[in-house]
Amino acid sequence: MVAMAGKNCVAIATDTRLGADLLTVDGNFQRVFKVNDKTIMGISGLGTDVQTFNSLMKFKTNLYSLNEGRQIKAGTFSKLVSTTLYEKRWGPYFVSPLVAGLDKVGEGEYQPVICNYDSIGYREHSGNFEVAGTGAELLYGCCEAFYKDDMGPEELFEVISNCLLSALDRDSLSGWGAYVYILTPEELTVRALKTRQD
Amino acid sequence: ENYTQVNIFKEVFEKQQAPNNQSLITHPHKTIGNENKQHGQFNPYQMNNGTAIAIAGKDFVCVASDTRISSGYTIISREYSRTTQLTKTALLTAGGQVADIDGFAKDMQMKVKVYMRQHRREPTLETLARLVCTTLYSRRFFPYYSFVMLAGINSEGTGVVYGYDVFGSHDTMTYGFTGSGQSMAAPLLDNQFVGHNHLVKKPAENRQSVEEAAKDIINSIAERDIYTGDSIELTILDKNGVTVRHEPIRRD
Repeated sequence: MVAMAGKNCVAIATDTRLGADLLTVDGNFQRVFKVNDKTIMGISGLGTDVQTFNSLMKFKTNLYSLNEGRQIKAGTFSKLVSTTLYEKRWGPYFVSPLVAGLDKVGEGEYQPVICNYDSIGYREHSGNFEVAGTGAELLYGCCEAFYKDDMGPEELFEVISNCLLSALDRDSLSGWGAYVYILTPEELTVRALKTRQD
Repeated sequence: ENYTQVNIFKEVFEKQQAPNNQSLITHPHKTIGNENKQHGQFNPYQMNNGTAIAIAGKDFVCVASDTRISSGYTIISREYSRTTQLTKTALLTAGGQVADIDGFAKDMQMKVKVYMRQHRREPTLETLARLVCTTLYSRRFFPYYSFVMLAGINSEGTGVVYGYDVFGSHDTMTYGFTGSGQSMAAPLLDNQFVGHNHLVKKPAENRQSVEEAAKDIINSIAERDIYTGDSIELTILDKNGVTVRHEPIRRD
């Protein structure tokens, strides 16, 4: 799974394989969830914890919007993920979430928020790109080489797809299809990539 | 069934009980016979890390490696050369333990000299490839801790890369990678060159773009891998000879 930031847009790209070691259990597993109009979250790791953690964050954001009367901002949400993970410090969720969102800083100006976490809540927010999952090291190489600043949504799609596909082909535990979620202030676009079905 | 009653076995059986009576707990001063235990912990292998990639072109090969060697989290040297030229048409490079990389390279140089005495010409790349394989296998039960790649120009004039594992099993490739940064190099090389996923593999055409790509790849790896950095040693072999260049990169 990889998340990348562009100019006023962010994207998360993921594969859809769910496996138990070498056995493929599901070839169409959903890992990326929409939190609100300005934030998406991708979760990699243990399948059951992916789904539980998503439900938990949904619960917390619903409560937040009832209390505050507005949608949660991307930056705040990223911190909420961190504290939620730390609540289970001594019996953690076996997940590596990736949060991608846009924070409004002015009229038409959005600050991208890209965060990666370990399973107990350390938040890494370098701002450019973050990787997670079994193909993390493979993705690091690709992203370092292909990433550039201030990409538009179309270019961001090309770059992130390239990175994911190259890494997917080398990692035996990832594959069976890929989706790219591109978030701009106006819309969330989901595109499916044609990959090797192995 | 009761072999403690049979005399010869009884003796052996009772002899084996004796060492337990003199354990270090009851006899802390009795260290004779225990020195070997401490030396038995000696580990002859250590990993000195670093990354190397090799790319085969239509009539040239390009080998790019970083020049850092480390032991654990310490840097031992920033100017170590991993690549050696064996013949006019072959380059040897490796990742892993420096003692074994150097030892193996010296071994191969010696074998090339012997070959030249016997045959009065240099070995071809295919012959050298087989020679590397058998040399590695000769140490099957105490292997060279070096992940070797042989890059060169074969007898048809095309560039080829041979990749080996520690015991000598090998295959021809259009590009190869080894070392601590290999998982970061793999998808980049797949993307830029025709190799891994393709039925028909094609060596690279444009020499300039191969050099640029090799430098960029090692640079990208140095950003994320702690064991890669300091400088890139770019070695290019073609029919005119060998050129070696050093380019400094991040030293952190």
